[in-house]
Amino acid sequence: MSQQDPSTINGGIVVAMTGKDCVAIACDLRLGSQSLGVANNFEKIHQYGKVFIGFTGLATDALTLSADLKYKHNLYKLKENRGIQPEVFANLISSTLYEKRFGPYFSTPVVAGLSEKTGEPYVAGFDCIGCIDAARDFIVAGTASDQLFGMCEALYEPNLESEDLFETISQALLNAADRDAISGWGAAVYMITKDKVTKTYLKTRQD
Amino acid sequence: MSPQHGSQPIQHQFNPYSDNGGTLLGIAGEDFAILASDTRQSVDYSINTRLSHKIKVISPPVTKEMKLESTDIVGTKNSVLFGTNGFSADGDALTKAFEENWKWYVHDQNSNVETGFEFLNENNEEKESFMSMQSAARNVQHLLYGKRFFPYYVHTILAGLDEEGKGCVYSFDPVGSYEREQCRVGGAGASLIMPFLDNQVNFKNQYIPGTNSTERRKIEYLSLDECLKLVKDAFTSVTERHITVGDGLEIFIIDKNGVRSEYHALKKD
Amino acid sequence: MAGLSFDNHQRNQFLQSQHNVSVKTTSTGTTIVGIKFDNGVVIAADTRSTQGPIVADKNCEKLHRMSPKIWCAGAGTAADTEAVTQLIGSKLELQQLYSKREPRVVSSLQMLKQHLFKYQGHLGAYLIVAGVDPTGAHLFSCQAHGSTDVGYYQSLGSGSLAAMAVLESEFKMNMTKEEAIKLAADAIEAGIWNDLGSGSNVDICVMEIGKDAELLRNYRTPNVREIKEKSYKFARGTTGILRTEIISEVEIDTSV
Repeated sequence: MSQQDPSTINGGIVVAMTGKDCVAIACDLRLGSQSLGVANNFEKIHQYGKVFIGFTGLATDALTLSADLKYKHNLYKLKENRGIQPEVFANLISSTLYEKRFGPYFSTPVVAGLSEKTGEPYVAGFDCIGCIDAARDFIVAGTASDQLFGMCEALYEPNLESEDLFETISQALLNAADRDAISGWGAAVYMITKDKVTKTYLKTRQD
Repeated sequence: MSPQHGSQPIQHQFNPYSDNGGTLLGIAGEDFAILASDTRQSVDYSINTRLSHKIKVISPPVTKEMKLESTDIVGTKNSVLFGTNGFSADGDALTKAFEENWKWYVHDQNSNVETGFEFLNENNEEKESFMSMQSAARNVQHLLYGKRFFPYYVHTILAGLDEEGKGCVYSFDPVGSYEREQCRVGGAGASLIMPFLDNQVNFKNQYIPGTNSTERRKIEYLSLDECLKLVKDAFTSVTERHITVGDGLEIFIIDKNGVRSEYHALKKD
Repeated sequence: MAGLSFDNHQRNQFLQSQHNVSVKTTSTGTTIVGIKFDNGVVIAADTRSTQGPIVADKNCEKLHRMSPKIWCAGAGTAADTEAVTQLIGSKLELQQLYSKREPRVVSSLQMLKQHLFKYQGHLGAYLIVAGVDPTGAHLFSCQAHGSTDVGYYQSLGSGSLAAMAVLESEFKMNMTKEEAIKLAADAIEAGIWNDLGSGSNVDICVMEIGKDAELLRNYRTPNVREIKEKSYKFARGTTGILRTEIISEVEIDTSV
């Protein structure tokens, strides 16, 4: 068996950005087994009420973690009879990941949503043992995280309107994915505003 | 903690290489070329110096007339901008080796083998002889491949003007595989900047609005001013996110008037 | 759901034998310091967190509150410093409720070191613990294996040598609050400039006897990014699109 890092077997990236009264989160659609492409419809962003979470890393762990969070989110809604706030969800993810401190999930989630009370955009990222990175601008994760950091740091500016934020996050994702052999194969962008959430599939390279 | 701890004898080994961080960036324009690098030299978490020079201008003598025309000229239009990034001791050694080759080449080219006298031009003046970019590139390949099994641990980028006066950039891997390109980034920040340049220099993933995503944005040469803006923004961005990049930005620009350089401060944290 | 779960441990042990596993945790490369002054104690930290050579967060918080007047500066594995500090913080609050006494710095230190010793250094938390309690102002440092130190000034993290160089040359006994704050900030700045693992801003927390603790978040911001040469806003319609859908909120999702 080859020498490989579990978090880079399947490949894939997620990026989230804040704008003016809006927040966007985007992912690529590739699922691979090392250099072999397996699927081009592997959506990494999952919806929990009005909160969206992207999971990168080892696909099996991402799915397990996603199902666990779905269970916890459903229980939260039943108990509290209200939707969960993105900040609260971030802390829930943090403790879920840290619970497995000495046998972690090889997945790094990214949270995006609008805070219900203030309407403020919220994004947060994590390492695989639950350390929260609550940035005000953007969060990146996945096998092309270096490329995404470079793209976002150069392209991003605060308070973009949703239409402009869409272009910026899409270009950041697309160009980062093209410099990573195991990311790409399609992309999806979620644009979250106060009264509407849209999901757009992007035209991407297919190599 | 290593699993073998205590059960195996410890083997010590000398590591001849170290990583000195930093980033090197070359862009070729229509009638100019740019080679830029940060000036930090570090190892592990320490900074060795905040003002190291990763780029050497290898140029025929700059005449007084040229200096009169513009005072900030540091090389002629026939210069080779030679940049290395990675293990800086190897970078310096490679730069020296190339410079030596370049000097002998120019010297040999200038002398008549029969008479031993130097060639003169039509006006009976000593003519400026130089090394073409393609010859320089091939020579660097030989220098690098000559140490195939104990390589110079560097990413090398050359910038200059080709025989038609067009900007050119050549980039090399540590053992001499090379290619002429429009733009290239080497070193620690390569993975951060390269996609940005794909997007902003070659307009990758950009379509013309209103064409229903069918027509790609046409590639066009960027002006020198536009390129310098991209270079500065690329370096300030990578300084934010990469710990080994920072302190200062040194930019060399070569065009038909010769070589000039710019320095901009970068963040020092 | 009490305590840690070792569900994945055996699987990951197997994975480790088959693969080259490198868990990339966020570490706070970090410079942190603590200084005692005439009427209290001050702690300070930089705000850079890193994953390898990449800066993960430019303005993170490394100053943790364990009780209103006992604060902790953390270096090492970021998740561990946060978790261990929250855990002891909540124990401290419970203890306060049933004993009806203000929590003491020595007890928080004892709880921290016993917890860390139990985990034999596997929790990568390196802490500077400081605070005021009914017995006065206190300053300690605590290593991941559980050893602790007492002193008038302390520094920890990858920038600790840079910071300690400043502390050793500038520290004097019975400084005023203002002097102590300045010295702490200067020591952190030494780390910010000279240690690659530290950077961005200076956070400070002042704990003075008889007063509420005061968190001075971003007390110094010497690393504000300069304005870019140009805007990279794209013309709307630049990105290639296949199709767009409108997403609705799912009530309780029962699908698997």
